[in-house]
Amino acid sequence: MELSTETPKMEVQNLTAYYGESAAIQNINLTFPERRATAIIGPSGCGKSTLIRCLNRLHETAPKARVEGSVFLDGEDLYGIDATAVRRRVGMVFQKPNPFATMSIYNNVSAPLRFNGRPSREEMDAAVLRSLQQSALWDEVKDRVDAAATSLSGGQQQRLCIARALAANPEVLLMDEPCSALDPIATAKIEELIAQLKNNYTVVIVTHNMQQAARVADYTAFLYLGKLVEFGPTEQLFERPQEKLTESYITGRFG
Amino acid sequence: MSRDPLADTGAPRGYDLQVRDLKHRAVQLGEWAFTMVHDGWRAYDTGDFTAAQTVLDRDATLDRFDEDMEHATTAFLVLRQPAAIDLRTAVALLKITTHLDRIGRLGFDMARTTSSPPVPELSDIRNLLQRMDDAVEPMVRQALDALAHDQVDTARELFARDDAVDRMHREVSQLIVATLEKQPKQARRLASDLLVARHFERIADNACKVSEKTIYALTGQRRSEYLPRHATAPYALESPWGSPTKRK
Amino acid sequence: MMFDRPARRKYFSHGMTILTGLSIVAIMVPLAAVVYQCVVLGGSVFNLDLFIKGLPYPCTPRQGVTCQQGGLAVPIVGTLELIALAALYSVPIGIGAAIFAVEYAGERASARIIGMVADVLAGVPSIVAGAFVYALIIIYDPTIVFSTFSGSIALSVLMVPIVTRTCEEALRTVPNSVREAALALGISRWKTTLRIVLVSALPGIVTGVLLAVARAAGEAAPLLLTLGDGCAHPLQGVTQEGCALPLWIFYGATSPYQNWINLAWGAALLLLLLILVLSIASRLTLDRMARRMRGE
Repeated sequence: MELSTETPKMEVQNLTAYYGESAAIQNINLTFPERRATAIIGPSGCGKSTLIRCLNRLHETAPKARVEGSVFLDGEDLYGIDATAVRRRVGMVFQKPNPFATMSIYNNVSAPLRFNGRPSREEMDAAVLRSLQQSALWDEVKDRVDAAATSLSGGQQQRLCIARALAANPEVLLMDEPCSALDPIATAKIEELIAQLKNNYTVVIVTHNMQQAARVADYTAFLYLGKLVEFGPTEQLFERPQEKLTESYITGRFG
Repeated sequence: MSRDPLADTGAPRGYDLQVRDLKHRAVQLGEWAFTMVHDGWRAYDTGDFTAAQTVLDRDATLDRFDEDMEHATTAFLVLRQPAAIDLRTAVALLKITTHLDRIGRLGFDMARTTSSPPVPELSDIRNLLQRMDDAVEPMVRQALDALAHDQVDTARELFARDDAVDRMHREVSQLIVATLEKQPKQARRLASDLLVARHFERIADNACKVSEKTIYALTGQRRSEYLPRHATAPYALESPWGSPTKRK
Repeated sequence: MMFDRPARRKYFSHGMTILTGLSIVAIMVPLAAVVYQCVVLGGSVFNLDLFIKGLPYPCTPRQGVTCQQGGLAVPIVGTLELIALAALYSVPIGIGAAIFAVEYAGERASARIIGMVADVLAGVPSIVAGAFVYALIIIYDPTIVFSTFSGSIALSVLMVPIVTRTCEEALRTVPNSVREAALALGISRWKTTLRIVLVSALPGIVTGVLLAVARAAGEAAPLLLTLGDGCAHPLQGVTQEGCALPLWIFYGATSPYQNWINLAWGAALLLLLLILVLSIASRLTLDRMARRMRGE
């Protein structure tokens, strides 16, 4: 697939993000096509997490954090509108599953609705059902939605977090190494899930596992020391990378 | 990171050694196939049954090389999950092995066709066949060298030589058909000669395929990106002075 | 040899075990002694009357005169009023300061300053707190200087640092992943803090409040200068002189009247029981709430 024929859902222009005085990412220019999965790969400390956290404006909540440049969602500058509103349109799933421990499964999934409005019981029921189905968790929890969220296994908790993020009805779903804390079977389930989610959402996934990027993503971006080295269709990047640095990394010959 | 990731780190790692091993196996197979072609033609040309038998006996080893190569490449793919140049190399080597195996088999077929020593009445055909051998054997050699030493330009050069072999093939085929009408008593020998001519053409073609895959492994380029397609037509429709109707 | 290496180690180890065991006994002895004393001397007045009757006429039993036991109803109610009011001021202030320190100041200097201030305030002698409130209110409105209201302010000065510190601890133990999860859902900062983080930290906060209440319930010194003496009759409004259990123990114990002295011991026992109950309650609450939140 040619990048030029894809509609960009999110665009990053000249993005530089600082922690205090040091820039974690410098001058990134990138587009994320709509309803596709884009992976961001690179060695530890290359700025992948920083980049993805700029997409939902979570980076600025860190102490002494600063951002220069722009991030656009459907052409709208995300740094010109209210951060909370941005996060309702761009959801995030974290590396370690973090369901609200004080709440039940039902309350976890309905949290974005309950805390951002006054939904009726029917609305919440419908949203919880839809989200749990979309994250392939419904069958496993349908007869115990009022159980504590912490009674689920690690893989289930991560799918719960995905359901919770989806319940907020975002347009983009960011995933920061969603499978690193999970065993291979749970990982496979989530990768399956991502293939489904692509039909309705734009997915951006940060991963240090190249094979995962290859399995899951339509497009891949390779970051090194805070700079974007190469970006392209996954198959092309892995079969015929254009930059020597990229080839060096993906053939495991780094350093 | 304090070190430049592109810098050469000196001693090759296990990974690199595995890739080198795969390539070495392929070249080894190619050398074996080359001897089968070289000795197969000699045997046919001189009518030497003993020499022919030697070539036929090499078939088992050829098969074994082929199987070992396949096994080693599959293991490399599943265990190392290579990407980029390593992946291309592994995939290319699998196909190269097939073509080198075919080259060996064609030499085998030449040896198997050995019957009687050459006949003076057919010496002009024999000379043409010798010329074909003089053109084709270096091609196989060149393809193997390009593979062994990662030489893209050497590989590219082969395609032009293939055109010459095609011309020779056309020439000798027409001569054989004409001779068949004039000297029907030599039909058996002429039929064998026709086959051998075809074998040479096929060997040259397979050598080109080996180069193609070598170029793909090293650069990622596929044939359609650097060789334009010519229109082709059956030989009978070609003009006598050789129009540009190469199959490639 | 008796004192070779392995044997020496063994004897040393045994010796330490015995020493530490003795320390435990040493701690328990004063507690046991106090409890015993209070039970023996105050047990005689521990009946229903203690809780429902007002203070008796002071008297000492002698030939021909029997004294009324009376009860501690007034001081008990007074203490409850004082604690309720003090909690009303100190809990919101303490929680508010803790929230600011943890959520909004984070790693910055202002957070550490709040913590330091709380620590210093916790170390202020309780009589000084009383004197401070006395001086403050006498400027403002001398007529209410001795009142329940005054006393409650003095007590809140003691309660605020406890609430602040424990609340801060509780908030800090809430992992950042909870806050990030909530923010990432598009929940606003203040809603995240109040409805999610605070709820998460609730066991710790409740413990803190109970501990502060336990402290305030047992303080007499700050009330010396602010409460006045309204124990003789049932309490009127908060601007009138009030009555409290710990303060009354002082009055009762230093009086020459036997029945008051007996009641004072009863009050001591009552206070002791109250502190004990509050301490156990706070520990149980922490345990139970924490366990419920973990989903067990």
